[in-house]
Order: sequence, then structure tokens, then C-alpha cells
Amino acid sequence: MPMLDIKNLTLEIDTGTSRVKALDKVSLTVNSSEIRALVGESGSGKSLIVSAISGSLPSNWHITADRMSWQGQSLLSMSSAERREVMRRDIAVVFQHPISALDPSATLGEQLEESIPDEFVEGSWFWQRKQSRRSTAISTLHKVGIKQHQQYLSAYPHQISTDIGQKFMIAMALISQPKLLIADDPTRGMETTTKTQLLKLFTRLNQTKALAILFVSHDLLAIASMSHTMTVLYCGQTVESGNMKHLRKRPLHPYTKALLDSAPSFRNDLPPKSTLPTLPGTIPTLQHLPIGCRLGPRCPRAQRDCVITPVVRRIHDHNYSCHFPLHMEKL
Amino acid sequence: MIRYTTLFVLTLLVLAALSFSLAYLFPGDVLVNLTGITPQNDIQRSALIQQYRLDQPYIVQFAFYLQQLVTGNWGYSFISGLPLRNEVAIALPATIELSAYAMLIAVIVGVPLGCYAGLRSYSTADYAINTGSILSYSFPVFWLALVFILVFSLELGVAPLSGRVSLLFDVPHRTGFVLLDILLADGINRKLAFTDALHHLLLPTLSIALISTAAMIRLTRRSVIDVLNRPYITAARSRGLSKWQIFFRHILRNALLPILPLMAMQITTLITNAMIVETLFSWPGIGNWLIQAIYQRDYPALRIGMLAVSSVVITLTITIDLINRLIDPSREKFERATV
Ligand SMILES: Nc1ncnc2c1ncn2[C@@H]1O[C@H](COP(=O)(O)OP(=O)(O)OP(=O)(O)O)[C@@H](O)[C@H]1O
Ligand code: SF4
Ligand SMILES: [Mg+2]
Repeated sequence: MPMLDIKNLTLEIDTGTSRVKALDKVSLTVNSSEIRALVGESGSGKSLIVSAISGSLPSNWHITADRMSWQGQSLLSMSSAERREVMRRDIAVVFQHPISALDPSATLGEQLEESIPDEFVEGSWFWQRKQSRRSTAISTLHKVGIKQHQQYLSAYPHQISTDIGQKFMIAMALISQPKLLIADDPTRGMETTTKTQLLKLFTRLNQTKALAILFVSHDLLAIASMSHTMTVLYCGQTVESGNMKHLRKRPLHPYTKALLDSAPSFRNDLPPKSTLPTLPGTIPTLQHLPIGCRLGPRCPRAQRDCVITPVVRRIHDHNYSCHFPLHMEKL
Repeated sequence: MIRYTTLFVLTLLVLAALSFSLAYLFPGDVLVNLTGITPQNDIQRSALIQQYRLDQPYIVQFAFYLQQLVTGNWGYSFISGLPLRNEVAIALPATIELSAYAMLIAVIVGVPLGCYAGLRSYSTADYAINTGSILSYSFPVFWLALVFILVFSLELGVAPLSGRVSLLFDVPHRTGFVLLDILLADGINRKLAFTDALHHLLLPTLSIALISTAAMIRLTRRSVIDVLNRPYITAARSRGLSKWQIFFRHILRNALLPILPLMAMQITTLITNAMIVETLFSWPGIGNWLIQAIYQRDYPALRIGMLAVSSVVITLTITIDLINRLIDPSREKFERATV
């Protein structure tokens, strides 16, 4: 049974005048101790999924789902206290923009230490507990590659650089020893060496601590080397998902193929906020969504039937939604 | 720090220049307007002109005026003939005392209510608080004070009509703040005097505080709602922190920091309102004193009174801004180090 199981998640956003379907019947699962990649162009709704899972939503967002469960418990119907407990102990989220996700008026140390679950803190007197918190914080910082902990623990968010902020967010996520880590573009804009370090840390935690990771990224090379499974998102719809190896060898959906082709031999990152070189046009905005298959206007294989939304089809554990998939003959 | 000092000194200079020019702008004899002394004969007159450098260029006159201000020679009241400095020293603390208690009430009541309304925004409780605050914000303070007098003093008789403390108590003037003076006084029943002074304070303080409280509620509510929509609150929730942790560690500080400078602006309104209310309650403050001066065309008193009030307002505003800069961590470190 998957740990995180999301089926047909629909997210509608009230924009004052109209209501747009920012996510349309998205399905996503994360099994225990797997690394699942979530990919798609900029604006395809990856961060929206992350927010939907993390639970604290603006009042103009409306979520419906056939199933959205964590270890068998429904996230949508549980009480807010239970929900908070899940977020406190089991699921940790690294949001996309680290600096804005940090409280500007509190030191980084305070924010890191408050994320430590009470049951990890040793000692019965407050100074012992303080001591214990501090040492947990420092060791976690070392883990994510921040060596000058003295300097950064007492710094405020506006005083640090973006990549320190990213590492801090990762430290804050890992400090509660979660079962699932959701990382939204955690390595964006980092230097290659730092990036490699972090990805190694992720892989190691995945192997030694059985940490499941939902890895949102534009970095196809990193994704290909560390993920076990992949879900491809386009314009708020899941277009294909399955085993990483199968997807790479034989993508069934034209969008997945275009995405993979855009990074020849996986050497280049998929640059954020740019058009795919292998696919004409750009991703439509939420206000002007095409009917039926949302890829229609850009798809090289589109035919008349594509104005009807394709249903999800399944071959083994490989899901796709396309009327005219590629490579069918080889399956 | 240097920036603040320059700002402060420059503003005070401008104010002094303004009050100096008033001596020329007010009708009547410049000499009398400036000194408050009416010369008895020509000899005395020319002596005074010499003494105040009125026969010399304006700039020298102004320099002398400044020197006099700094050394504490503020001229004499036209009417009572007393030194203005002593009169201001009695009247100004009374106003400051009134405003301070009103501000205290505004903060103690306004901030929690505003937070509550902000956290429960668009709920029934929020609408109720909001309506209440808009309503009390739109009452003219003059009218409000009159209604209070009518209801509480005249009808119900729970509070005295005017003054600071009953004449039965002979409270010597020490600090100028009546509650403090009572605590410092000897030979009177301090407890009775204290209760009596509180009774006297009740209505004027409430009439000013109501409007400031309403302003505080609205400021705090807006700010809390703003902070609630920030991504770091979402992030804090996603870490599973409890409501109280989020409120005290992340919302409160971030909501209060931006409204501190706005509170400074409230002080101006507050003192103006205090001065209006004083006249109604015969509170011996600077507002009352200035009104008397206007009635009696006591130009020297007007000149100094205005200077004193505006100096107090400027000092408070700049101090609050300075404090805000010192405690707001998102201002740059080196910036803070230089202050
Ligand atoms: N709060 C919001 N209100 C309205 N629309 C939003 C909101 N947040 C995001 N969107 C829209 O939802 C779509 C998906 O955005 P999202 O941030 O999830 O993309 P993404 O896949 O994370 O992109 P990137 O790779 O650049 O991070 C975009 O078209 C965006 O304009
Ligand atoms: S359904 Fe049609 S338009 Fe959509 S991806 Fe498949 S072929 Fe292209
Ligand atoms: Mg994103």
C-alpha cells in the first residue's frame, strides 16, 4: 500500500470573477522508501500539489479528491489536530522559495529549534532541554552541509544567501526525522558541488533511514540518477507516471517524450521558465485552458479525438492519459 | 543615530523659527509679543529693545531668542505676569499624563481585540469588533466627552464633572503627574486621594481612549491579516506547530513591528484630542491653558504653548521611530549598529 496516496485531486482557485481548475484529477502515489520525481514545465502545478499536501490553504482554494490519504488515513477528513500531528512527525515540506518561508523577525536558530519534536529533546530541566535542542540543531546543520553554525544560528533570514536558506529549509525538514520528505525544487540555482552533496544526502537518507522523498525538480539529470519512479505533470493534469527506467526507455505520452528529449543525454537541466525546445508553443495560462487534452494545441500527434479528455490507462504499473500514445507496438 | 539627531535638531529649529516669527505675525507690539512685558515708559522700552536685540537684524534677534529658549527664559504671560516656563511646566505634564493613560488603555484593549479579530477574520466576532471600532472611531471626541459628562456625571453621578483631584486634598506639585504626586505627598490620606484622582481621570481618559482604541484595533487587525497570508505562516503550519506557537512566535511580532510607526502617528491625534477634552473637563492641561490664552489674547503664551506641544509631539514620534529601528531585526545589522 502506498504511504501517500492521492487520487483525482482537483484544486479550484477562485479568482474573484471566475473559478479555474488549477489541478485537474491529479493522481500521485509515494510508496514507503521510494524516491518519486515530480516533473513538468514551469507553471504546470507542481508547487500547487505540494501546497495541497501540506494542508494550509488560502481560503479561495477548494480541494476535492477521490482519495487523499496518508498511511491509510484520509487527510481530508481527519481533524485539524490529527492533521497537524501528521505534519509534525511524518511529513516534512521544503517549499520552493526558502527565504520567504522563513519568519523575518526570528533567528534561524529559533526557527530550526522549534521544529524539533518535543520527544526528541532530552533532559528534564529547561537548560538541559535547551542544550539538547541546540546540539540537535547543530548536528542537523552539519548534515546538510552548513559548517559555520555559530554564524548562521543567530542570523536573520534577510542576512543569508539563497542557498544557505535552501539548506536551512532542508535542515528544518529533516530535523523532525520524517517518513516522507517533500522537496520543491530544493537545489535550484545551487552550485554543482553543493547540489551533488545534497542529492547524496537525500540518497543516503533514503537508503539508510528508508526516507521516502517526493522530489520536485527541473534537474532531469539529478532526477534520472536518483529517483525510482516519476510522475509527469502538464498544466495541472498528470499525463504519465511509472517506473523511472520504463519511462526513460519508452515514454508513452508525447509530453513525456518532449520533456526527456529536451535534455539531450540528460546533460542539461531543464531551464526554468523557458519553452521546451522540442515542443512548439508555451504552457497555457489557467484562464485560457484548452478543452479536452490540455496538451492538444502543442501536441505533434493531436487528432480530432483529443478534444475529449483522455482517461487514465494502465499497463502494469505504468499510467498514462493519451488517446494516441507512442511506442504502443513495442509493449 | 546621527541622522535622527540632525532630523530632531532641524525640526526643533524650524519650530523655534516659526514661534519666533509669530511674534511678528501676531497683532500688536512685537516687543510685547516676544517678552510678555508691557513697558511702562519709553526708557524701559528702549532698554528692553536693547536687551532683546530688537534693533539688530532678524538673524541676531533669532539667535538671541534661541539662547533665551535654551536657558529657560521663555518670557512672561501677558495676563498673569508669571514666567511662562513655570506655567507650561504645570500644564504640560497634566496633558501628557492624560494622553499616556489613554494610550495605555488603547494598547491594552486595542491590540488583543485587534489580534482576535484578525485571527478570526470575517467571522461574526470579527464583524462585531469591526463595527464597534468603526462606530467609536467616527464619534467626534467633543461630542463623546459631552455625552459622557451628561450620562456619567450629571445623570448617574458616578464620576466628578471637572478637575484633576478634589480640592480637599492639597497635593503639592512635584512631578506634575497627579498620581505620582499623590504617592509622593505627605500629610494627606494617600489612598483616598488616589481613588479620587482616578475618579477624576476616568471620563476624560475614556473619551480620548475610545477613539485611539478603535484605531489600534483596526491597525492590529489589518496587520494580523496581512501576516497570516505570508508564506512563512503556511510553512510554520506545515511543520505542525500548534496554533499558539504560531501566534506567539510568528504572528504577533511580525504584526506589531509594522504598526509601531503608525502608532507614533496616532500620538498626534491623541494629544490633539486630549487638548480638546481638557477644555470640557476643566483639566488643567496645556490645551485648556492654550484656550485661555486665546480668549485673553495672551500672545506670548500662545507662542510658547504651541512650541512646547509641537516639541513634545516631535520628540515622541522620533523616539518611537528610533525604537522601532532598534528592535526590528529585518533592518540591516550595520544600520542597527550605527544607531
Ligand atoms: N495563489 C495562486 N492563485 C492563483 N493562481 C496560482 C496561485 N499559485 C499558482 N497559481 C497558478 O497555478 C499554476 C501552477 O503554478 P505552480 O507554482 O504550481 O507551478 P510549478 O509547476 O510549481 O512551476 P515552477 O516549476 O516554476 O515552480 C500557474 O499557472 C500559476 O499561475
Ligand atoms: S491525447 Fe491527443 S493531444 Fe493529448 S497528448 Fe495524446 S495525442 Fe496529444
Ligand atoms: Mg513551483
